Amino acid sequence: MIALVDCNSFYASCEQVFRPDLINRPVVVLSNNDGCIIAANKEAKALTDIPMFQPIFKIRKLLDANNVTYFSSNYTLYSDMSRRVMDTLMTFSPRVEEYSIDESWVDLACLKIDNYNTIAHTIKNTVHKNTGISVGVGVAKTKSLSKLANKYAKKIPKNNNVYVVDSEQKRQHLLLQLQVKDIWGIGKKHAIRLQNNGIHTALDFANMPVAWVRKEMTVIGERLWRELNNIPCLNLETEPNAKKGIGTAKSFGFKLTDYSLIEEACSYYVAEVADLLRQQQSLASQIEISLQTNQHSAVDRQYRNSIGIQLDTPTDSTVKLTKEALKGLRQIFRPGYRYKKVGVNLTQLVHQKEVQTNLFHNPHKSESSTITNVIDTLNGKFGKNKIKVASVGNRSKEWALIKEHRSPRYTTQWGELMTIGK
Amino acid sequence: MIDLDNRLIKKSENNHRVKSPTQTGFSSPATHYSEPRIDLNEVLVTNSSSTFFIRVADDEFKEHNVLTNDVLIVDKSLAPKLNLLVLATVDDSFKIVRIDQNATEVLNIWGVITFVIKSVL
Repeated sequence: MIALVDCNSFYASCEQVFRPDLINRPVVVLSNNDGCIIAANKEAKALTDIPMFQPIFKIRKLLDANNVTYFSSNYTLYSDMSRRVMDTLMTFSPRVEEYSIDESWVDLACLKIDNYNTIAHTIKNTVHKNTGISVGVGVAKTKSLSKLANKYAKKIPKNNNVYVVDSEQKRQHLLLQLQVKDIWGIGKKHAIRLQNNGIHTALDFANMPVAWVRKEMTVIGERLWRELNNIPCLNLETEPNAKKGIGTAKSFGFKLTDYSLIEEACSYYVAEVADLLRQQQSLASQIEISLQTNQHSAVDRQYRNSIGIQLDTPTDSTVKLTKEALKGLRQIFRPGYRYKKVGVNLTQLVHQKEVQTNLFHNPHKSESSTITNVIDTLNGKFGKNKIKVASVGNRSKEWALIKEHRSPRYTTQWGELMTIGK
Repeated sequence: MIDLDNRLIKKSENNHRVKSPTQTGFSSPATHYSEPRIDLNEVLVTNSSSTFFIRVADDEFKEHNVLTNDVLIVDKSLAPKLNLLVLATVDDSFKIVRIDQNATEVLNIWGVITFVIKSVL
């Protein structure tokens, strides 16, 4: 049996753990740069006149009028709280697949238990007690069924956030209660097509002949069909796949016209993605730089461009990548525009050990990898970006994201601990 | 977002294995007796995934010998038992409470306080 454990309104819950005054009150979290709402708790979702995914400046008054507390996203905190939840899950089973920041599969097959209801409730209660985060738990024989069970666990209040598919009757009941669009892996297009064929509930889908499913939805649909019929086809993946590309594109805190500031931001993002690249032990063969103005502005002149630079040999060196990135940036930069965003994308990644070297170049292991190691060690010890490429500069205040309403990083910064008293 | 934890951990000092002698002359008579140095993280934090550090901002809690700028170590995983000091929420704000036999009010317990760090500098 597999349990799918999913945190309830995770970002908002993280904020509420440290703000008991906000329990049972509406809380929303804003995207990077405080652009729009990206997460809301149950109480905030219940306020139907608050449109999601709207720019904050348009709805600030509405939020204030409804006593909604809003936070800038505090990914440092969410990442640590996620780690705590995952670590707690690991105490139940050695096999846990972290699917996303707030969702994990826990393999219960390796445990000698007969009452899955008890263990599901224990998992839910323990995670809540230890971390303050409430979760829903769906238990079933396959990944797809456990995902549906989790959805159903949260949907019906009586389920108390737990649903266990431990009998044929409960499987039928679950599938009957949910729609095809609820099935994990069935997109909007397929859902509409299925409905047009008179297939509405998940049970309708699971009861179709397998040959029809294969013909209409290829082998991927067939796999889903089997999973819903209690035949496991998807394995637990406990090792994350290496990413095929690593990128970042963030808006500046202000519109920038000054090339040197954009260069600083670009260098900063290169350092970030290069660090991720090294953590997954890959090398990049190509770096793409993109630059754009604010597409939503009616008054600004518009410009956007991007460039891909093929590297002589694949590399993970921040120094080399920065050099190439800035060469590219210089080529696409045009003066006279107010820029909104720069993006850095590392692509054509290869594993460190599987690199094809160029006939005319030394292998990638050169003096620069020694320097990179020293930089990583120092930054690991003293903090992110303590040692940096000079082009990163020190004027980040003039371009960095605006996080006006970010909560303290309660669990990772000694200077930002939760305080009591007063 | 970038997880540097793995790079931070320096395993060598926490090694329980006997170290091979490093002396170039006489090998040390202490060779078989060396132990890892005390690590306060191991002593004060038993369950790291449920432990939180909380700073005290004023002298409201001095009846429990908790003063301004003290840092509480709070473990949410522990069960609140008689005589333990807990962090609880009352009317939306945090209080420090010693669990006692005659407690009448129903406490909303946030976590059990395990240690108080005081700076005396």
